[in-house]
Amino acid sequence: MGRLINPEGGSRPPSGPPPEDKVAPAKPALEAASPSRYGRFFDSRVGVLGAQAASIAAVVVAWHVAVRTGVADPLFVPAPGAVAGALGTTASEALPRLGDTLAKAFLGYALAVSLGVAGGLLIGSRRLVHAVAMPYVVAAYGVPKILVLPWIALIFGLGTGTAVITATLFAVFPILLMVAAGTRDVDPTLITAAVSMGATRGQVSRKVLLPAVLPSVLAGMRIGVVFAMLGVLLAEMFAGTRGMGFLMQRMAMAFKASELFAATAVVSILSIVVVLSLEHLNQRLSRWR
Amino acid sequence: MTVLAWRLGILVAILAVWEVAVRPLNPIFYVPPSALPGALVRMWRVPELPALGEHVWLTFTEIAGAYALAVAAGLWLGFLLGLRRTVGRIYEPLLAALYAVPSVIWYPSLMLFFGLGPASKIAFGVLLGFFPIVLSVLAGIRQVPATLVTVARSMGARPWTVFRKVMLPAMASTMVGGLRAGLALSVVGVLVGEILGSRAGVGYVINYAYGLMMTREYAVLALIAAAAILAVDTVGALVEARVKRWAG
Repeated sequence: MGRLINPEGGSRPPSGPPPEDKVAPAKPALEAASPSRYGRFFDSRVGVLGAQAASIAAVVVAWHVAVRTGVADPLFVPAPGAVAGALGTTASEALPRLGDTLAKAFLGYALAVSLGVAGGLLIGSRRLVHAVAMPYVVAAYGVPKILVLPWIALIFGLGTGTAVITATLFAVFPILLMVAAGTRDVDPTLITAAVSMGATRGQVSRKVLLPAVLPSVLAGMRIGVVFAMLGVLLAEMFAGTRGMGFLMQRMAMAFKASELFAATAVVSILSIVVVLSLEHLNQRLSRWR
Repeated sequence: MTVLAWRLGILVAILAVWEVAVRPLNPIFYVPPSALPGALVRMWRVPELPALGEHVWLTFTEIAGAYALAVAAGLWLGFLLGLRRTVGRIYEPLLAALYAVPSVIWYPSLMLFFGLGPASKIAFGVLLGFFPIVLSVLAGIRQVPATLVTVARSMGARPWTVFRKVMLPAMASTMVGGLRAGLALSVVGVLVGEILGSRAGVGYVINYAYGLMMTREYAVLALIAAAAILAVDTVGALVEARVKRWAG
């Protein structure tokens, strides 16, 4: 919500496990030199996954114990068992709403990608346009979109329109900035070389520009997904009558803590799965290139 | 020079088109720019809006508290995960996965837990601001050249000296970027919290004006808030540039 990437062209801090070849050389010197057999076990994939599963299980057990012994008030923090139970009972109500939210997010995302890629290509390829428009784009990117949300809700009402427009507004600027930066960084000598060897305009854009710009487009698209989801959920919480965000806000107001936790868990797991699979796809695509 | 002229020209053109296009439309939904100064003056006199001073002060303290906590938690966890390789290998992917979740979905639970007062806003501001700080510390530690650390150690530098003279300069620019992003997100978290449900603060006043369909006053408030946030972020950018120059 706001700044996840650095507008000066730096990319978002890495998500997902860091590539091994980058981590390995930097680390050994920085840590106390005693990894031994125990350290090597956690270097293996199985060890890491096992430790992750064990930590999550430990958190759940501690959570359960805290609720049972009365450290945490079950009115605000329901026991894990109660949340699991609520998962079953709320599913019939939550799933159609989740579908609604995802459909709106997809619409807003599609709009944001088309606008962001087109605008990014334009701003990145023309020097004057870049110089003129960039301050405005960076400012629009830096201002919290929540400030505009009431006005959007006023004009588009309490429904689909507001959610879709908000999703577009949240997702379009990171995509645009990424694509603009990627387009600007295309090496001009590549184009000159292609033209001097007699490439046509179409050939230049297909064989030189597309492969050069594609990574930043994909990176922008990957970031845009989370922003679009965020926009829809926020719009639904603020001015919704349907959808997951509305449902969750209502659950909070009604003190239905176990249902709320269950809904939160479902949406988080769904978005983690979406983002990780996009990341995976991206890596395969870059290997293919 | 031409660039500056173009920039100003576009701004003026947008305002002019807005003014002309919006005139015949319903003033409850569309505010012409020329109505804004009047609304600003009226806002200080008309008693319908709550007194602004204390709300601004409350929001400011919420942001300050949230950012301070986010920096403390972010730096601590970042160095913990970055310097202990085993811990980092296990927990960094979990952290990155949590970062992929659209953050608003935590807010209803926080509101349930902390209530409608400042605590839930601060908690949400901390939650949002914390992630970029942790991730930038982790990325920064990865940038420290291992050979430099080894050399410094072999020449007998103490851990603190290694940290201050070798590690800090190497990771400073990345870390400062993360601290700046964290501030922006803490501000967003507090504002979102206030607008989604509160009884005081700038977000509350904005929501109040919106609820009463005082669109002009809302527009003025939103513009002032946006300008203030951009000003703070500009200061952040200057600090960032300065640190980058120091770090080389």
